[in-house]
Amino acid sequence: MYEAVHAHPDGQSTAARFATTAERYGYEGVIVRADDADPDYERLREDLAADVVDAAEIVAADPQHASGAVGNARTKHTLVFVCGGTNALNRFAVEQDRVDVLTRPFEGADGSGDGDFNHVLAKAASEHSVWIEVNLAPVLRNRGGHRVQHLEKLRRLKRLVDHYDAPYVVSANPQSHLQLRAPRGLAALGAEIGLGEEWTREGLDAWGRLIARNRERLSESFIAPGVERGRYEEDD
Amino acid sequence: MKHLPKHLQPRWRYLAVEIETWPDAEFERGAFQRDLWYAAQNLYGDVGSAETDLTVLSFDLDGGDGETIVRAYRGTEDRARAALATVDAVDGTPVGLRVRGISGTVRACEERYLNGRTGRGKQRDVVFENEPHPAVVRGTRVDVEGTDGFAGATRLDFE
Repeated sequence: MYEAVHAHPDGQSTAARFATTAERYGYEGVIVRADDADPDYERLREDLAADVVDAAEIVAADPQHASGAVGNARTKHTLVFVCGGTNALNRFAVEQDRVDVLTRPFEGADGSGDGDFNHVLAKAASEHSVWIEVNLAPVLRNRGGHRVQHLEKLRRLKRLVDHYDAPYVVSANPQSHLQLRAPRGLAALGAEIGLGEEWTREGLDAWGRLIARNRERLSESFIAPGVERGRYEEDD
Repeated sequence: MKHLPKHLQPRWRYLAVEIETWPDAEFERGAFQRDLWYAAQNLYGDVGSAETDLTVLSFDLDGGDGETIVRAYRGTEDRARAALATVDAVDGTPVGLRVRGISGTVRACEERYLNGRTGRGKQRDVVFENEPHPAVVRGTRVDVEGTDGFAGATRLDFE
């Protein structure tokens, strides 16, 4: 299980602090969703017990700006996220094979977005295998009306994702190591808010599968995009 | 008041909860209890709160590290976990909470999961982002004091 975190200077804690705390909480490692952050991944992986995965989270105002940034980030990072928050951005992200995860589809980077998610996007996400992030941050740290609205959206998102078999991931979007929550706590919360304990746990596990897939694609056995060096089938 | 017969006594479970916060944070049992009950009430309402109980028994916080025992009815441990997960701040101070384990008696809970190892860290000056800052060092953890609050780091960030 992994958690995707906002490391310093995007958040308040460094990647190393996130990784040590996450390991204590029972995660395999953390994914640094970097906007400005640029830690020394090689060294962190060597010195820490937890895994530290490099990812770029692209925060853009519109699809035109996002498109260029996706191309740049794709060659440099293991994972590429696009932060949603508007209908145009959500649409753009789920139709790009180059994008791994559409993050925060409803609220966007500053929490003021008015993005929506519907059956068209769910279908596209499943076709282009773009993971959809189920963001639990507003459930954990907001109260009152905003939280109620977000809960409604999450329930609808779950129905769409289940129906179209779209891939999804669950995250608490922590900005500091104090905002990390243990997987069991998140699963219990998922059960409480109607997402289901198993479903939430599955979403936390999905990060690991996504990382394994991308690391395999970046490994040396792929000599060109889509061309893997492997064993031939034996002829009889 | 007379004791209830044994078979009618409530069955409790005790959750050992680890608290982590910034080193300058100071709050008492009462504040933690209030924010925990608010979190539970906001999450599953008065009925759910009554079903779960969530009384804070022992509480110990010093220098940003703390331990506490939260009581819940047997069978509602997961609801208690969920409420604890949604406590993001106590008295306005951000807190990280983790359930270390659950026991059937207070004594077992203390013996197995609490180690009473709260203690103040050491004040140091560190260079963070090319500027000197005061910091509090606790083991490998380093909390750097900036102009707009603390930043969390580890020793590794200063090597």
